[in-house]
Amino acid sequence: MLIYSQPLEVTQILDTVDQFLRTHLSPGMVSLSKGILTGLLLLVAYAVIALALIYIERKVAAFFQARLGPNRLGKYGVFQSLADMIKILIKEIIPINKADQLLFFAASFFVIIASLLAFGAIPFGMDLHAIDFNLGVFYLLAVSSLGVIGILLAGWSSNNKYSMIGAMRSGAQFISYELSAGFSLMTIVVLSGTLQFSEIIEGQRYCWNLFNGHLPAVVAFVIYLISGHAETNRGPFDLPEAESELTAGYHTEYSGLQFGFFYLSEYLNMFIVAAVATTMFLGGWMPVQIKGWEAFNQVMWVIPSWAWFIGKVGVMIFLSLWVRWSFPRLRIDLLLNLEWKYLLPINLVNLLVMVIIVLSGFTLTELFPAFFGR
Amino acid sequence: MRDIRKMILVTAPDALIEERQKLTVTLRPEQLHRVMEELRRDETIPYDYLISLTGMDWGDTLGVIYQLSSSADLTREIIVITSTANRTDPLLYSVSDLYETAQLNEREVYALFGIRFINNPDMRRFLLNDQWKGFPFRKDYTHDPVVNPVTVISSDIVDIAPRIRETAGGDLVEESVAIFDEDDYIINIGPQHPSTHGVMHFRTTLDGEIVKKVDVHSGYIHRGIEKLCENMTYPQMLHLTDRLDYLSANINRHALCMCIEKAADIAVPARAQYIRTIMDELQRISSHLLAWAAHCNDLGGTTAFIYGMREREHILDIFDKTCGGRLIVNQNVVGGVMFDIYPDFQKDVKAFIPYMRRQLIEYDHFFSHNAIALGRLVDIGHLSREDAISYGVTGPAGRASGWSCDVRRYKPYALYDKVEFKEILRTDGDSYARYMNRLDEIAQSLHIIEQLIDRIPPGEVCTKVKPVIRLPEGQFFQSVETGKGEFGVFIESRGEKTPYRVKFRSPSLSAVSAIPLICKGSFLSDLIGIAGSMDFVIPDIDR
Amino acid sequence: MSFSSYIQGIFTGLRSLAGGMRITWREFRTAKVTMEYPENRKTLAISDRWRSELIMPHDEQNEHACTACGICMINCPNDTINVISATTDTIDGKKKKILDKHLWDYGSCTFCNLCVITCPSDAIIFNNDFEGAVYDRKKLVHQLNHEGSKLREKKGEPVKVTREGTTDKANRQE
Repeated sequence: MLIYSQPLEVTQILDTVDQFLRTHLSPGMVSLSKGILTGLLLLVAYAVIALALIYIERKVAAFFQARLGPNRLGKYGVFQSLADMIKILIKEIIPINKADQLLFFAASFFVIIASLLAFGAIPFGMDLHAIDFNLGVFYLLAVSSLGVIGILLAGWSSNNKYSMIGAMRSGAQFISYELSAGFSLMTIVVLSGTLQFSEIIEGQRYCWNLFNGHLPAVVAFVIYLISGHAETNRGPFDLPEAESELTAGYHTEYSGLQFGFFYLSEYLNMFIVAAVATTMFLGGWMPVQIKGWEAFNQVMWVIPSWAWFIGKVGVMIFLSLWVRWSFPRLRIDLLLNLEWKYLLPINLVNLLVMVIIVLSGFTLTELFPAFFGR
Repeated sequence: MRDIRKMILVTAPDALIEERQKLTVTLRPEQLHRVMEELRRDETIPYDYLISLTGMDWGDTLGVIYQLSSSADLTREIIVITSTANRTDPLLYSVSDLYETAQLNEREVYALFGIRFINNPDMRRFLLNDQWKGFPFRKDYTHDPVVNPVTVISSDIVDIAPRIRETAGGDLVEESVAIFDEDDYIINIGPQHPSTHGVMHFRTTLDGEIVKKVDVHSGYIHRGIEKLCENMTYPQMLHLTDRLDYLSANINRHALCMCIEKAADIAVPARAQYIRTIMDELQRISSHLLAWAAHCNDLGGTTAFIYGMREREHILDIFDKTCGGRLIVNQNVVGGVMFDIYPDFQKDVKAFIPYMRRQLIEYDHFFSHNAIALGRLVDIGHLSREDAISYGVTGPAGRASGWSCDVRRYKPYALYDKVEFKEILRTDGDSYARYMNRLDEIAQSLHIIEQLIDRIPPGEVCTKVKPVIRLPEGQFFQSVETGKGEFGVFIESRGEKTPYRVKFRSPSLSAVSAIPLICKGSFLSDLIGIAGSMDFVIPDIDR
Repeated sequence: MSFSSYIQGIFTGLRSLAGGMRITWREFRTAKVTMEYPENRKTLAISDRWRSELIMPHDEQNEHACTACGICMINCPNDTINVISATTDTIDGKKKKILDKHLWDYGSCTFCNLCVITCPSDAIIFNNDFEGAVYDRKKLVHQLNHEGSKLREKKGEPVKVTREGTTDKANRQE
């Protein structure tokens, strides 16, 4: 696979580390230390990405609102979210008298672990993949739906009416939109013929799934963006938090680091949704490749795969922020209407259309193998 | 007018009918309800709009002044006065069965004057808490902080309403009724809540997400402005009006100035009239912009909030250049205005008009046509015309229910009879109609300013007024149209340099009294949205 | 709901949403309105009429125009002004009231401007220096007359100090 010069890829570094470990440790210890190192790397990446996203969100939101946003700490306020993190770390965790202590405590971990599990399954770049399950998509859907348990627990155990309403809304919303998100990913699974992320990406070498599946893929893409957006509880689907109605919704009673967990996971979920959309529809970390243009392809490979990934995810995140800061919030009945009366029926028809297209060979790769074929 | 007099005399032969500033009828308490009912149910011109209900302490008697008008002809007004000499347990008949707005107003009179109303279904105190000792607006009230110490202990809210009911046999029965059922799921929206626009407190019961009942608690920032006014000279009083509905500060102050000017027969120079009218309209635009912005924010459109505030900033800049204040403009004084316009005033205002028109188009594209916004606004919080009149909901909200109630049109003041403008009327009565009415009224206000801005005559901006103003003995009324609706001033003077009693008719109180009606059966999210569309300001309610 | 109106609804909805996103995109690229205070302190234009802090202008001889008549104190609705006067003997042996301290409480002032417009000698004005925040509430009470200042002697007509109805301060303060 490595036929072009790729000066900025981290593959070499990974190989060096691998060699180093193998020469110094027993095979069992190699796996163990690799596991620990990967876990640590993921945790650090998790925190760094979340902090970066918080800064980006504040800055972008400000620009949409004719403001400047954070501009005090460092040039253009780049250290603002770092300072916020330090503040949140040293803040007091206020105990709630009549809360269910165990569940109250556990809720924030549920949320963050669910998003961390999903985070681990994302292919960040060539060979930058913690686990490459052959059931990758299925695994991702499974673990990301764990988060709602944390939200329900938080709302219920807080012993606060606002939290309770927020959690109930979240439950209804999450279960509904999980369906749409699942079906739209299924559409792409039908197109790709695999559940494994690495194979899905490899299949998009010359033609992104978004174009390969043309009409049904575009519909699935739009539906995935909407339902993914809804799953992350971000405006206009931020009903569980609904600041102007429920003050802070399910995390009203949380403070300090516990609140910080909810806060981090919200941003990371946004990243995960964008990353999945990128991987499934936009070719993942694969650079833009055009069949036959070898010189062009070589130039594209100079840009490392993780940069491609971050770039594509960045575009997706910007889209999500743009939507969030443009629209008012939906009401719970409008939200469920949108899902059950619009997205789900369209999705089911769309899945059927995709199956027909794939079976009858109407995908771009099969119609024009000279340009797009693998 | 003749007919009204005859009609009243038939029902109450010993009624005292006088032609004061307004037609004034003085009745014995037991005649009151029957006369009011006659007036309310009149076929040709029903007096169905209770503008204000003012508690009074005349020293030996306690009483109430009702200011009535008719939705069919708002130029007609009748003042009905009744009083009781019993100061230990004063009882009067309630008119809350005739006018819904009387409900909260009578509770307020009970809290402040101690007058209880027979047949009012809910006689809890409004504005004050249950523990308050004494009735602060009575003239013999002691201000000693020992009587009502500042407490740091919070007490539970008692949801039991006492009331006095008259049985068919004419006996009075004292009873108490629970506001909520025992297993109601009560949630407190406020007093600290992001969307109540201040310290408003809605005790709300929910069935899932559906609002079953809303109970309005208010008074968290009751400052007793009306009582404070009683100890102030007329020029001193003025600065308190800015602190009622602070978004219509200039217009409120205009009302009080006009009331004093009319009573003391002070002429206002033409230049001052122009400045007042232009400033009023600028204030109205800024009030509507904030209402729009806050309403969008209530619906979750945070970005719209910033846009609205940005445009409002241009008006505030004009304000602070004119009179050195942004929120509290402090511009009107008795006899004219405090500051003349600054040299570039016309240029700035003329630059603002086209800018604002462009922004209005942007608002339409951004929010008014947005599919989600329409889902949150259309057919939500329906207020019928009859209810709007009965609750006294005026302003853009009243006009959205099809009630033509613009004071500028029916009781023109300043230059409103000389300018051409359209009264924006919609008949849907839903949140969207109220929302759109405000945006359309901004356009009309721009139109009014455009007509006046180039015609400001030269001359004085304030007539010379004696340093101490004494109003002649009597009762004086003045209404204006603020951003929220009809704002009224009532002054009773005994010829001294301070007023005997001042009452401000608050449009926000009427708006908030209609909230329980129009929110019933809608979603919790819509309670917030409807409250935003009614656009009330809490200091105006609490006074 | 017919099928065509269902489809139509989807497209009108999407179009309206796209319209909203177009507006935010335009705003994203336009100039921002944030004022970067305190960086823009030098260029910040505060209106001349802005009422911020009550001051008593003094000339080069350290003289002011306040005759200690107390009209501002009487007219103040909030008891924000406290004029403390002293009496001295003039050269011709008469008792004369002069200003000892003119105290103004920044903390309770409502900036209604009544003191300024009623002052018969135009001795006090509001300036536009809005940065009046302090860390101690006691510092909010300003003494407006400078140390050692005295009343400016008017050439020509004497300053008119009495006005109708300025006598019953005690009455009002009850």
